Amino acid sequence: MSEPILRVEGLRVAFDHPLGKVQAVDDVGFALSPGERFGLAGESGSGKSTLALAILRMIKPPGRIEAGEVWFAGQRLADLDDEGVREVRLAGIALVPQGSMNSLNPVLRIGRQIADAFADHGLRLGRTEQERRVKALLADVGLPPTVSRMYPHELSGGMKQRACIAIAISLRPKVIIADEPTSALDVVVQRQVIATLARVQQDLAAAVVLIGHDMGLMAQFVDRLGVMYAGRLVEVAPIAEIIANPRHPYTRALIAALPSLERRGVLAGIPGLAPLLRDLPPGCAFHPRCPQATDRCRIEKPMVRDIAGAQVACHVA
Amino acid sequence: MWRDPVVPLIEAVDVSKRFAGGLGRESTLALAGLSLAIHAEKPSIIAVVGESGSGKTTLARLLLGLAEPSSGEIRYRGTNLRALDRDGRRAFRHDVQAVFQDPYGVYNPFYRIDHVLTTPLRRFRLAGSRAEARQLIGEALRSVGLQPEEILGRFPHQLSGGQRQRVMVARALLLQPKLIVADEPVSMVDASLRATILGSLRELTDEHSISVLYITHDLATAYQVSDAILVLYRAHLVEAGDVGRVVTAPRHPYTQLLVSAIPRAHLARDWLAQEEDSRRNGVNPTDAGCCFAERCPVAMPACLSAAPGLYRTEARRAVACVKYHEHPTLPPGDPGAVLSNGGTPPAPFPRFSG
Repeated sequence: MSEPILRVEGLRVAFDHPLGKVQAVDDVGFALSPGERFGLAGESGSGKSTLALAILRMIKPPGRIEAGEVWFAGQRLADLDDEGVREVRLAGIALVPQGSMNSLNPVLRIGRQIADAFADHGLRLGRTEQERRVKALLADVGLPPTVSRMYPHELSGGMKQRACIAIAISLRPKVIIADEPTSALDVVVQRQVIATLARVQQDLAAAVVLIGHDMGLMAQFVDRLGVMYAGRLVEVAPIAEIIANPRHPYTRALIAALPSLERRGVLAGIPGLAPLLRDLPPGCAFHPRCPQATDRCRIEKPMVRDIAGAQVACHVA
Repeated sequence: MWRDPVVPLIEAVDVSKRFAGGLGRESTLALAGLSLAIHAEKPSIIAVVGESGSGKTTLARLLLGLAEPSSGEIRYRGTNLRALDRDGRRAFRHDVQAVFQDPYGVYNPFYRIDHVLTTPLRRFRLAGSRAEARQLIGEALRSVGLQPEEILGRFPHQLSGGQRQRVMVARALLLQPKLIVADEPVSMVDASLRATILGSLRELTDEHSISVLYITHDLATAYQVSDAILVLYRAHLVEAGDVGRVVTAPRHPYTQLLVSAIPRAHLARDWLAQEEDSRRNGVNPTDAGCCFAERCPVAMPACLSAAPGLYRTEARRAVACVKYHEHPTLPPGDPGAVLSNGGTPPAPFPRFSG
């Protein structure tokens, strides 16, 4: 295996709260090979988005990174000064944040918003060169050059999301983190946006981290999947392994919650509610909702184990 | 012509809605000539699916009387909504209830949850005493799987999104309506809670004899909970009928595209490879022709010259595609047995496991 482009080790993020510390990300580690597609799945509140922000050192108070290291292309991000980290953002690791298609500036034309990324990273370009680059980026994401002169409200949801991807890839990053890029779009447009993401990823030979909760989308797009629950990675395995042989009971529940198109009347939820992060149950955080929980699960926190190529944090798997 | 033997509870007769464009802009057609009949006697769940902008929410607003059709009529027990008198309007407001998409935005954060439950009881004078009101509210909450003691007295921010949405279902249930129009009730709720909320909608139909118009962009959940389905594309009805047939053997090219675009948790990775099929095909659409022509993989010259009729391909299915032109056409304004739940009763529904 080649040298990982991104390596996360023992990352812990906490938010200080009057009622106690909230452990949003708890001892998370994974490595990403160049060009790999990695998925992060879990319910809302499981720490997926916080993990993405922590990788880019964008956690703001009252949140703080308590421990852990992030390495990008062999460089330890903690060794860089603020300006150095800023260079890595967008030029090295690009984030398409959740709901970004609704955070485009409504009073600026799309072309200007893409060009801002160049200027922000000290790229001084002539007007024609800038225009040429903007149009090339729009073409990369399958948008016509006329979009450059348009305002966000003139675009459909799918077009806005593709414009956001264009901004994200403007400095040719090596890692693209896409946080629920298609959760507000219908299935036909979702497939177009994901196909666009797949295409630009191939052109740039970049790795992708796709954050989401749709196991169908994960099954069809990523190479490897990490399942998060209450701030921890509870299972990491190649996607084929996860689909054919999910080991963690929570992974199984996530797959079962997907409505079937083969059989009617089998719509299953996950019983109970996701736990409060500031008041986690003892032992395994999933045990109150787990159909297989034993006495050990109620007392002892499961450590990550290797089971036939999968990393699983579960006593009964 | 096939006619419903009894007057339906709610009926849309060849309804169109056009939004005027301001400042020299073109007007937008939001719904084109839709007919639908919902009978109180045969409670069922009717799903309306389509992409954003297909006219789903416009249909909901028309049926709720929140918007007026540009042409055609919405009738409540045989009377045009516009012509209802005071008592008729009151009865309509009682019989037809709404559950909206956003379980966060519908609550006033300054009032306790109790407020949204006691207001309709007071307005419609449904409870004789405070004790009776408390009992009715308790029953309604319990029937959507909530414990009254965990909900009452709390403020909206103290409940989860799933709990809030179930309180809205309980509120609708309190009035014992005949029809609930639910506009994207689970799109803002986590996958794990979706099943519970959809399960409580199904119980409304099976146990309380309330029909539900379930508006969604999620074909898979529509397949799981509903009896009949309407597929809309750019304001036009493209396919309608029995949900099992429409989803497992779609006939309209758009319905086929919708079904194939759902990513499946399978080992076979065929989803992205099929993406090419859904691109524009180079056909220039015409106003007169089929609304789907420019994206249709099987478009023919005939698709551009005239809009297709609504062809009744089976007893309980109609498709608006010229491929099926040898089947009988449903005349405009006539919901027929396909777009009405007044015909044969729907098949018994399997129970949920979640």
